[in-house]
Amino acid sequence: MSKVKTGSYTSEAVRGFDHRTAMEEAARCLLCHDAPCSEGCPAGTDPGKFIRSIRFRNPKGAAETIRENNVLGGVCARVCPYDRLCEEACSRTGIDRPIEIGKLQRYAVEQEKAFRMKVLKAPRGRKNQGAVACVGAGPASLALAAELAKAGYRVTIFEKEKKAGGVLTYGITPARLPQYVVDQDIAAVKGLGVEFEFGTEIGKKITAQDLIEQKGYDAVFIGAGLWQGRSAGVPGEDLKGVLTAVDFLKEARTKGGYAAMKDKTVVVVGGGDVAMDCATTAKLSGAAKVAIWYRRSVEEAPASMDEIRYAHDLGITITTEFAPKAFTGKGKKVEYAEFTGRDKKSSATAACDFVVLAIGQTAEDMSKITGASLSGKGCIAVRKGGKTNLPGIFAAGDIANGGKTVVEAVAEGKEAAASIITYLKKKAVKPAKKAVK
Amino acid sequence: MAIKKDLSIDYLGVKCENPFFLSSSPVGGNYDMVAKAYEAGWAGVFFKTVGIFVADECSPRFDNTNKEGLPWLGFKNMEQISDKPTELNFEFMYRLKRDYPEKILVSTIMGSSDAEWAALAKMSEQAGADLIEGNFSCPQMTSHAMGSDVGSNPKLVKQYTKAVVKATKIPFIAKMTPNITSMEVPARAAIEGGAAGVSAINTVKSITNIDLDNMTAMPVVNGKSSISGYSGAAIRPIALRFVAQLFQDPTVKDVEISGIGGIETWRDALEFLLLGCRNLQVTTAIMQYGYRIVEDMANGLAHWMDERGYDRLDDFIGIALPNIIPAEELDRSFKVLPAFDTKKCIGCGRCYVSCYDGAHQAIDWDAKKRRPVLNDECVGCHLCLNVCPVKDCITPGEIKWKKRAKKVSPVVQVNYD
Repeated sequence: MSKVKTGSYTSEAVRGFDHRTAMEEAARCLLCHDAPCSEGCPAGTDPGKFIRSIRFRNPKGAAETIRENNVLGGVCARVCPYDRLCEEACSRTGIDRPIEIGKLQRYAVEQEKAFRMKVLKAPRGRKNQGAVACVGAGPASLALAAELAKAGYRVTIFEKEKKAGGVLTYGITPARLPQYVVDQDIAAVKGLGVEFEFGTEIGKKITAQDLIEQKGYDAVFIGAGLWQGRSAGVPGEDLKGVLTAVDFLKEARTKGGYAAMKDKTVVVVGGGDVAMDCATTAKLSGAAKVAIWYRRSVEEAPASMDEIRYAHDLGITITTEFAPKAFTGKGKKVEYAEFTGRDKKSSATAACDFVVLAIGQTAEDMSKITGASLSGKGCIAVRKGGKTNLPGIFAAGDIANGGKTVVEAVAEGKEAAASIITYLKKKAVKPAKKAVK
Repeated sequence: MAIKKDLSIDYLGVKCENPFFLSSSPVGGNYDMVAKAYEAGWAGVFFKTVGIFVADECSPRFDNTNKEGLPWLGFKNMEQISDKPTELNFEFMYRLKRDYPEKILVSTIMGSSDAEWAALAKMSEQAGADLIEGNFSCPQMTSHAMGSDVGSNPKLVKQYTKAVVKATKIPFIAKMTPNITSMEVPARAAIEGGAAGVSAINTVKSITNIDLDNMTAMPVVNGKSSISGYSGAAIRPIALRFVAQLFQDPTVKDVEISGIGGIETWRDALEFLLLGCRNLQVTTAIMQYGYRIVEDMANGLAHWMDERGYDRLDDFIGIALPNIIPAEELDRSFKVLPAFDTKKCIGCGRCYVSCYDGAHQAIDWDAKKRRPVLNDECVGCHLCLNVCPVKDCITPGEIKWKKRAKKVSPVVQVNYD
């Protein structure tokens, strides 16, 4: 019997808690005074409070605490790097191991759904304080939109794809983040009255500035994300079968797996969570052999230990301290991936049918969207609160920070919302103009 | 080699291989069950109560309480005495005694008149029972002429005990109900009637939970429920209290008391022995875990005896009883301050929260270091020690003497699990 885990593309990597197991875990919680875990969340979630609610048999209260603080509470429950945030701060670590805060958060959010709760409600009669447009429907925009809607502002999110979520819907593998979890959080945003315009790509016909000048928005937030796969800068990247992580994950997410990889050999290059997602997606899509190659060591890899472990569980190997040198093939198709060792002495060649480059994402051409200043990497340059150098134009999330975690995008989105509110109040915005439908 | 200790004990003139018995309950209601229990290592059984009355049971009939996900804190049982024909029960007992002559068989009986009690006693004798127990204490009988309604009426206890003692020479044990203020009163009545011993406690009348869908207690029987007996770990402290008070009674102390109530482990069992019990009865833990639990009771007790250098149970039975004294006799001349091990401390602040909200605001909180700091308000109550989740982090420390107190070194607890 093989020890290796198997599953389909949509199999969930981790089993959640039920009422009993959640209570058992909550009972392990020490219910600290001034709980350190609650200091550990960038998005301001208060685990000390919601775990106490679970412990005192109040899962609905737990769901409220989570949702009120973080509209993407369901998503964060699945993809947050807890081991570096709240769970690292957990006092229980001093006795044995931290409380599984992420899994308890997942349980609470699942209760919200089971009980058909609607925690967030838009305030009545304050709809016309101002109108804000968001570019992109990823985590930063969603978090910002929810904050603004709660404060009584009208928000419209323009999204070039057919669905909301950005990287949540078109990137992260469903093994870690099932679509229903994303949809539940997005429903909470929609429930606040936030409007979505799908299939509308800002930067194509109209710019962010146009949204203000022509469409009557009082401010524009850019949460465009990073959708350009970074190139390794080695020969052979144009061969058929060499894919960027962004394109590969998006294709898999849209079609429910990557059927072309069935029974094939796949090389994944990279050492972050995205590389792990690519490798597990390939394996769960039916690839015969998946190998991760990373230029640095496991200690240096940015991927969380949980994701590395999950890849291992699926039988995926990780070879460290080898960087790609070239991709080769006799025809137009990739046949070999060649690597050079970090020690400058080792070398390796791996036969493969596919190569997925998961070595980072960069910004698409932002100058098409806005005239705001860009940073060196093509990201939008921002000050505190997501302010760009242009009045009324704000940005946050990956497009501003160069690519960090979902929870950090949420945190920045919330900060940008606060700074937009300040901006609009200063500007003493009159009720939204008619042009906004 | 597993440890071997002599756990045998004389109980009412009957030689028992150990003090562990099944109590009269669902766990010992037919031949096969008791045979399996004997083979697992139980020394004897108080067979499921037999009456002339044959019970008609409800379904479902059990419920349990839990805390923080921990089930079976306590257990509620609505089952009455045996639902099998009287003759069949005595046939089981006859066969058990025939096939397991070394094991002890106690026939537990319940009648509703002198004649019934006498008849049941006679049948027990014919079946070969070593001892007879009178069930004066089942709180969920459908007839008020039986069960705890009898057990809380000293006149009836005495009368029915007499009826049994007249009918047979086999020693008789009266099983007490805790649903009474002073158990000593019916216990004395039983002794006056001729009982050789008492057993305590039967189950505590209870409502474990209210079902929020049906708006009745649990378990729900066609939309309704009843008050009935509570047992298991939750009632052990109550059982120990009743047992101690029986042993402190000048009349009752001279008879054997069989201890019952929430025994799960060797330690629980030992506690009853230390109060003076020479026989122990178990049901709830068996319902939850099976007969096999006796293995760790016997083995764990043997290891404890080995640690303390005891060779026989008689060496330590009852030794804790004299140290349980009235509150007015306690030495109140000092306080024991808690000592905090700041290295073991994990900074959860539970001691601070509880001391402030539930005691004397004697702990200040160093928010920066996340550590408790004791101030002068401490009265030595040890609430902090009770809530601390870290083993040996808070322990008894400095002794403070009250004014004009005689400064004798007090005896304090040293081991905290």
